[in-house]
Amino acid sequence: MKDNRIIIKINNVVIYVVFAVILLVLLLPLISMFGTAIKTHDAALTTVSLFPEKLADLSFENFGYVMLKVGFGKNMLNSVIVSIAVTLACIFCAAPAGYAISRYHGPYFRVYSVFLLLLQMFPIMLMLMPQYLIFTKLRITNSLLSVIISYTTSNLAFSIWLLKGFYDSIPIELEQAAMVDGCSKFRAYVRVVFPLTLPGIATVSVFTMLNAWNEYTVASVFLKKESAMTMTLGLQKFVQQNGADWPSLMAAACIATIPAILFVLFSQKYLIEGMTAGAVKG
Amino acid sequence: MKKKRKIESNRLGYLMTIPATLLILLVDIYPLMNGVTLSLQKYNLQHPKNRRFIGLENYANLFQDSEFLGVLGYTFFYTFVTVITAYLFGLILALIMNRKMPGRGIYRTLALLPWAVAPSVANVCWRLLFNDRVGLVNIFLMKTGLIEEPILFLAKGEIAKLTVIFTDFWRDFPFMMIVLLAAMSSIPKDLYESAYIDGAGFWSSFRYITMPMIKGVSAISTILMFIWVFNRFDNIYLLTGGGPNKATYTLPIMSYFTAFMRGDMGKASAMAVVMLIVMTIVAIIYLRVMKSEVEQ
Repeated sequence: MKDNRIIIKINNVVIYVVFAVILLVLLLPLISMFGTAIKTHDAALTTVSLFPEKLADLSFENFGYVMLKVGFGKNMLNSVIVSIAVTLACIFCAAPAGYAISRYHGPYFRVYSVFLLLLQMFPIMLMLMPQYLIFTKLRITNSLLSVIISYTTSNLAFSIWLLKGFYDSIPIELEQAAMVDGCSKFRAYVRVVFPLTLPGIATVSVFTMLNAWNEYTVASVFLKKESAMTMTLGLQKFVQQNGADWPSLMAAACIATIPAILFVLFSQKYLIEGMTAGAVKG
Repeated sequence: MKKKRKIESNRLGYLMTIPATLLILLVDIYPLMNGVTLSLQKYNLQHPKNRRFIGLENYANLFQDSEFLGVLGYTFFYTFVTVITAYLFGLILALIMNRKMPGRGIYRTLALLPWAVAPSVANVCWRLLFNDRVGLVNIFLMKTGLIEEPILFLAKGEIAKLTVIFTDFWRDFPFMMIVLLAAMSSIPKDLYESAYIDGAGFWSSFRYITMPMIKGVSAISTILMFIWVFNRFDNIYLLTGGGPNKATYTLPIMSYFTAFMRGDMGKASAMAVVMLIVMTIVAIIYLRVMKSEVEQ
């Protein structure tokens, strides 16, 4: 019995170590990103190490350079505006719809929820081309509004489904009690049920925000003007203009990654909940 | 009285779906139908006056075009390999993490990062790592003597075809890991204990307890991922731009270039409709699996 335990312990240590090595290799892109970003310009172009070799090679000048001189700050600001607007719009539309398909029954609501599932499977390209023609006619390309509308819609199906799950878990007796006390059904929803689904709202927010922050494809079609570009586009523009300026590029990439890392650190619970709820991220 | 009340309350239900429905109809469904009609037209943005209905000619042209058929084939290859490798690796990680070990939370957090990082960021990092002169991967391989010449990960067709699959795999395995881990942790522990007492080793308890219990989740998550990867545009576009010499063209990339660089909306829409047909087949399978899961 005791031998067995030792073997298990050794086994555990081996797995632990192997696992740590695997993860280290997998995170190499992010590690080298950070390592290159904190090198001085000369060191980054002449040395090949992962991190600055000497203290003299260490510098944070790249961060200031991309934020102030290259206009990457503006891109970041655009991304922040888009992410927040999309999240609010998405909750505004998805919360009542999720409630509706959770509480009401009948052919309309059944078909509606299956339809939402299928919606996620439509090829984005098929919608993007006519969307581009329509948005051009409406003169809203090159404005943040175009991507806000597009992102909100593409996040709806997932958000509605996720919130439906949360509403399902709230006993209907709560609303009935509120209605007995004289609330209308809608008031009961707003005052009693909605506050109870705040964890669901948090999960939806975390997801839509991350999706909007990271999105590239739609933005690249709609936003051609520099002043309207989001973070993902700004990064690509930077690549095209200063291809081999690796340290500045990596500094920009670092700044762009901070929100994602913060999200993983602080909202992991919500992220995992969303992913396992048949998550949608395309 | 009771009936009237029900009608009233259902009306609120309809009303509550209105904002979402309006957006979906205007921003998804209307353009989608538009796309399908575009695919039946000759319509080039550079010659907008020549726009006319040509029936299925775009499709006929596509299926005689060997380049398109090649791209269709590679799209399937790309998708299958990405999904299968992401699933297998996610499964291995989930198996390792499904046991008590110190620092499990930190490991899980770190393993989630590739999924959470923006593809535009990740692919900039890959470009640096895979660079032939300053890229660490080539430098490492040359220092250890495994290769003499740097490998052109992104500039050589056959290799680039695999490189883009690798970066997509890198982005997708965390999802599989998390989903499978959740499924595994819901398996009752006493099942394993009684199997252990009966003398079952790791493999037999994996085969007869774990696998059957995560079968449903595996099916659904691989189908979903198939859909995402098949439709995916940014990974390849950001890494190779479809190059070198169109070697890494997939259907989304090809239709993007056809539409937005050459302005041939008709042909590009026809390609997208072909994708829609593939997706429809996958969707039918998905709904079947979902239904059988619910019934179980």
